[in-house]
Amino acid sequence: MVFSDLFFLFVFIPAFALCYLLATYIDKKYLSDGLKQVNTCKNWTLVAYSLIFYAWGEPVYVFLMLFSVLVNFFVGRFIDSQQEQKKRKTALVIGLVCNIGIIAIFKYLGFLSQILIDMGVPITKPNIALPIGISFYTFQSISYLVDVYRKVSPAQRRFRDLLLYISMFPQLIAGPIVRYQTIASEINNRHVTAEDFAEGAFRFLIGLGKKVIIANQLSLVSTQFLQNEIGSLSTSGAWIGIAAFMFQIYFDFSGYSDMAIGMGHCMGFHFLENFDHPYCSASVTEFWRRWHMSLGSFFRDYVYIPMGGNRRHQMLNIIFVWALTGLWHGACWNFILWGLYFGLVLVIEKYVILPYIQPKCPKFLMHIYFLFIIFLSWVLFYFTDFTQIKTAYTALFGGAAVKVDFISKAAIFDHFWMWIAAILFSMPMRRWAANLTTRLTGSNKALEQNIFLIARIVTSVVILVLSVALLVGATNNPFLYTRF
Amino acid sequence: MKRSYIYLITVIAVYAAFVIVFDFFPRSTFSELEKRELATFPKPTTKNVASGQFTKNVSQWFSDSEPYRDKFMSMSMIFGDNLKLRLFENPQSNIKFHAATDDAATANDMEMEMETGEIEGYDNKLTANANAKIANKGIIVMGEVPNVRALMAFFGGPNGGANYAKACNEYNRVFGHQAKIYCLVIPTAVEFYCPDAAKSATKPELPTIKNTHSKLNDSVIAVNAYTPLAKHANENIFLRTDHHWAPLGAYYVAQEFARVANVPFRDLSSYEEKVVHGYVGSMYGYSHDISVKNSPEDFYYHIPKDVTYTTTYLKYNIDQNYKVIGEKAPYSGQYFIKYPDGSGGAYCTFMGGDSKITHVHTSTANGRRLLIIKDSFGNAIPGYLFYSFEDIHIIDYRYFAKNLKKYVEDNKITDILLSAVISRAYGGGNDIIKYINQPEGTYNGLVKGSQPKATK
Repeated sequence: MVFSDLFFLFVFIPAFALCYLLATYIDKKYLSDGLKQVNTCKNWTLVAYSLIFYAWGEPVYVFLMLFSVLVNFFVGRFIDSQQEQKKRKTALVIGLVCNIGIIAIFKYLGFLSQILIDMGVPITKPNIALPIGISFYTFQSISYLVDVYRKVSPAQRRFRDLLLYISMFPQLIAGPIVRYQTIASEINNRHVTAEDFAEGAFRFLIGLGKKVIIANQLSLVSTQFLQNEIGSLSTSGAWIGIAAFMFQIYFDFSGYSDMAIGMGHCMGFHFLENFDHPYCSASVTEFWRRWHMSLGSFFRDYVYIPMGGNRRHQMLNIIFVWALTGLWHGACWNFILWGLYFGLVLVIEKYVILPYIQPKCPKFLMHIYFLFIIFLSWVLFYFTDFTQIKTAYTALFGGAAVKVDFISKAAIFDHFWMWIAAILFSMPMRRWAANLTTRLTGSNKALEQNIFLIARIVTSVVILVLSVALLVGATNNPFLYTRF
Repeated sequence: MKRSYIYLITVIAVYAAFVIVFDFFPRSTFSELEKRELATFPKPTTKNVASGQFTKNVSQWFSDSEPYRDKFMSMSMIFGDNLKLRLFENPQSNIKFHAATDDAATANDMEMEMETGEIEGYDNKLTANANAKIANKGIIVMGEVPNVRALMAFFGGPNGGANYAKACNEYNRVFGHQAKIYCLVIPTAVEFYCPDAAKSATKPELPTIKNTHSKLNDSVIAVNAYTPLAKHANENIFLRTDHHWAPLGAYYVAQEFARVANVPFRDLSSYEEKVVHGYVGSMYGYSHDISVKNSPEDFYYHIPKDVTYTTTYLKYNIDQNYKVIGEKAPYSGQYFIKYPDGSGGAYCTFMGGDSKITHVHTSTANGRRLLIIKDSFGNAIPGYLFYSFEDIHIIDYRYFAKNLKKYVEDNKITDILLSAVISRAYGGGNDIIKYINQPEGTYNGLVKGSQPKATK
């Protein structure tokens, strides 16, 4: 099930909301002693719906996830119960091996087998389907074990609550990767105000709009150019196709994150931000501090720093972490190449561009440099086949038989306002609009708040109505990151 | 706090309205816009539940059969239409496609081509400079409301059609001793009306037609549909808002077929012209372009006046995957079905659709009995051949549960016309070969026995 599925929006969410409200009532009325907050029914409801949500798409692999949580539950308890560092470390290593083993088997075994087959080893390639969201929930499991090991948070005493953390449906299949320490206290102690709920609902609708109104429309453009007969791609078509994909993936993924954060908000969970207008960056280094922040910080804290960070062999650490980041996205050489590409760029930026060029270079030139580098990277990300990658780069740099064609022009003019919207909403428009309103209304706070309210209501209703209209008749509507 | 409540009450009210509509209102079963039956609730089986297919199908059913589906889709198309920049539109592009202009090629040239069997390419001068855009599914939409034309792009290369030619040759091998075999490949509107600017969005169809013809055995007779259509491209030979051709296009091709089959043929003065006004065909649903909906056209067809005929149907029951699962008892009916003005189903005027075997017995007692194996393009042809054959049997290539050898023998067929639109001819062929030796009563790949009996 995906968030932008009509079944999710109009069957799953209302059913969940009713049950969750009832559970809240039962917790308050019958289970609470009036002094301490009780979340028993609410948490069971959330767990049950999360399992239904996952089993809807993966009726068999839901048991794999349950097994994974069970293993992590016992390992976490063991780590927490031990005082001796060596035993704690051994348990952590066992837990990590289990988690990495699961993802290695279900995500990478086919890829590794293919490498061996290509090297002449006579083995059969296993046919294992990729469980949805395995990359996300495995990383959350690792985060849990490491946080317990580092004594950042205590181990969960209830299996249900650990299951809730790992399987919570808003962030289960495409992130953000929620660190255990971020929501550990909210699992059993959370409170939702009307402001929280309104903020969550608004955030959810913004995410829905990003996905359905912008990303889905741009996917029509990117697909038109990049999926059909790549050999006949014109130069202009290559630029427009990749540009469309560049915006599509941002609005698709950040839209999903907004929806997840919004739903979390409505239930009293405060997930950390995952995007911060990454295309406004002036360097790739800055970009990776603004794009998929939960993944970047995970690798920084759990891989890069333990490897030595900037204290020893930093260059090697950077390259390794970025190769790993690429591999996380998919068991395919193009993703590894994509990761290495960034590793290389980041090294060059660190040692050359940021210290020597950026201080002297106008910001807009740095921004153009950044956009060019990031634009080229999406070619590696989009195509899994190296011949296609080569063809696309050839077309981009003028090697196509046709330089400018009618379809490219049509793609610009027929979707003109969508392009404008994509460019504008890649920038912090909401912040700018809010600042402008504040400035215009001066000290009249009531007027300012009323303008905000009207703007929010109009935006929300327009997004909801338009998204529903666009979803009716949309045949294929998955989020790009659910395949990782 | 108060403002948050105002926000929540407003948004939840709108959302709740959607929930009520989507969850409790009657679900749509047919999309007039897309001209198709919508998904029905899936049946759960152990296998499909375990594989996740059942839940996937439930989601698909929910997303396919929404209440007011067509209205929501129209709304999304209006949104899509408003995304374009209108600044550079050419006000002169309001082309009337079927205005009486000079012929695109001279009549003599065309007649020469038909005689020699050589087909020359068509040079589009009618709409060469029209504005165009690419809509959903790569459909080329050109012109301005109310004369918009939507063109289905063709993606085939020059080597296509070989398998279809092979199928024709196989028919000739099996039936050649008792019937003449004709191969007809029908080009589509994009071949004749595609503006120069949009040429890169489609491929030429003529190479596929030539390739198909070149692969035919000498005894298979190629019917050249291309040349008569090119000759009359300035007439109403293709529908603007549908992927099919117009009946007039079928008329000119039927005329060419009658010529090569050496049977009599009557011109349009022997027909009564009928019209369905305000017709909008399938291209609106395919292209998702509102301008197509806003450009309704007149659907003209012709009913023969001076010949008597009876029509018998054997209608198949088909499942949601369009597989034959049974058949009804044969019944007599109208060959031409009158649709009201504004109906989107006007192309079903002929026989009421595809999923049946049709037998037309005419008063033309000339001993010639025709079998047509066709797709939906072929539906428009038989009505122009009632003066040419005493019996016409029409089989759709998707719906046939009998043994073709027996059918041809039982009905003493003398001519077999294998008619295919270019997109099917490009890769098709096996779809009609299988019928030659198919056991009588084959439903959904299984021989009759456990199949449902004929129903009234």
